[in-house]
Amino acid sequence: MSNNTTKLPDGVADSIKIEVAARKKESRQLLLISIISVAIFLFLWEFAVRIGWIDSKHLSAPTTIVETFIMKLSDPNPEGGVLGTHIATSLGLVLVGYGAAVVIGVPLGLLMGYYHTFDKLVSPIFEIVRPIPPIAWIPLSIIWLGIGTTAKAFIIFLAAFVPCVINSYTGVKLTPAVYLNVAKTSGASTWEMFWTVSKNYAMPLVFTGVQVALGNAWSTLVAAEMLAAIAGLGYMIQQGRLLARPDIIIVGMLTIGVIGAILTFLLSKLENHIVKWRSRS
Amino acid sequence: MKKNRSQARDIMLSVISILLLVAVWFLVSGSRPDFFPTPMATVERFIRLIEKPIMGVSVFGHVLASLRRVMLALIASIILGIGIGLVMGWNKKVRAAINPILMALRPIPPIAWIPLIILMFGVDEFPKVLLVFIGSFFPIVMNTMSGVALVDDMYLKVGKIYKAKTWQMLRHVVFPAAMPTILAGIKIAISSGWMVVVAAEMLSSRSGLGFLINRGRDSYDVALIMVAMILIGVVGALLSAVFTLIERKMCGWMSKE
Repeated sequence: MSNNTTKLPDGVADSIKIEVAARKKESRQLLLISIISVAIFLFLWEFAVRIGWIDSKHLSAPTTIVETFIMKLSDPNPEGGVLGTHIATSLGLVLVGYGAAVVIGVPLGLLMGYYHTFDKLVSPIFEIVRPIPPIAWIPLSIIWLGIGTTAKAFIIFLAAFVPCVINSYTGVKLTPAVYLNVAKTSGASTWEMFWTVSKNYAMPLVFTGVQVALGNAWSTLVAAEMLAAIAGLGYMIQQGRLLARPDIIIVGMLTIGVIGAILTFLLSKLENHIVKWRSRS
Repeated sequence: MKKNRSQARDIMLSVISILLLVAVWFLVSGSRPDFFPTPMATVERFIRLIEKPIMGVSVFGHVLASLRRVMLALIASIILGIGIGLVMGWNKKVRAAINPILMALRPIPPIAWIPLIILMFGVDEFPKVLLVFIGSFFPIVMNTMSGVALVDDMYLKVGKIYKAKTWQMLRHVVFPAAMPTILAGIKIAISSGWMVVVAAEMLSSRSGLGFLINRGRDSYDVALIMVAMILIGVVGALLSAVFTLIERKMCGWMSKE
């Protein structure tokens, strides 16, 4: 077998070489376009603020933003916390709300998908609550639970809960009957069929749900902290607005974006680790 | 016979489930009605809201105010999102130029834009529409781009054999093939836009359903908060139901069953 791949006719080998070289050249060219485009974008932005086309009270220049970012690493002024404190506060909050949503939502969705009676009993309630955006719960949860961590964690929980349930549910529902029948023929009990077949079959979709949930949780966190908090990234950008400091707002926004992207990346790494069977296909 | 019986059982289970929800609501709200209004009090508050406008606008006016903002933003993001997404999916160089900037902005949640947008544009109508636009633009542009990039090579080759011009190719081959993905993006955009409009109205507004929630909070009128929440849920569900119908009309050939 390996002989076939090592010994190619000369003409073919050459044309492959040319093809590879052309592809390399193209990807270099595309990278160059990307770099130039970003450079032009940043330059125009800087220029527009410097020359006064954009009021620096409304939007800060990129260089100012970099300066503010470096300053915020160590200086708690003006809004009362260094960047690290805000990040830690927000991450802690997300961990509680999101963790609870995954721990409760995924098993609930899996069981709803597997047990018909349970499904019919729970889904009407779920369908009534589902279309209300988590942000709309903020005032009510503040009245019920106060402005402490519990209320904010509850809102994040709501945001993350729905995709966890829906995807786990769909994953189980999509298990091919053949797999279940094989398990049944081999003498598996109902629970064993659920645990060894349906649960594992649903895992990739569960992970998609868990990922969507993380995005939801992270964006809702900002809203929760903007409405009631004394620290956190959402609080930071809200204070930036009250102090009319666009540089602080933008540093906060970019931090939120970067951390969100990092969290998503970590989760997809974890997925590859846990859902190994899928990578075979 | 058996099928009918199991259907009847399912309906009964659903009824039991909703009755259970209402019963729990009654039970919990019984002890502190000011804290957690009963279902009846909530219905009463809704009827009172229909009769008595807030800020000179009736409930339906508030619903329409929110809907108008979402619709304006959606039209803009559908036109721009599909346009830019098509070009980005079709031409690698354009994609290389625009993608890095989009990728940097995309992970920022739309709600995180609120302070900056208010600082830049104040609290008028335009900044709210702009926020909803930010919330709905990304799903549409991303889905259009990947939909176009994933069009089956065979379709493109057939187009080439018939000597289709670039425009004809986009119009008759690429666009229809990417349609289901684009529509899925618009669907995400609608629910995201509806969420953002509520958030934007809660932070600064004099009309809309988000404003009603805030009014309820400021005047400690918990029943009003709940009425507004239920309205937001109902209108949001209706929006996505209507769009699912449109989706089926436009992509009938795609339907699974």
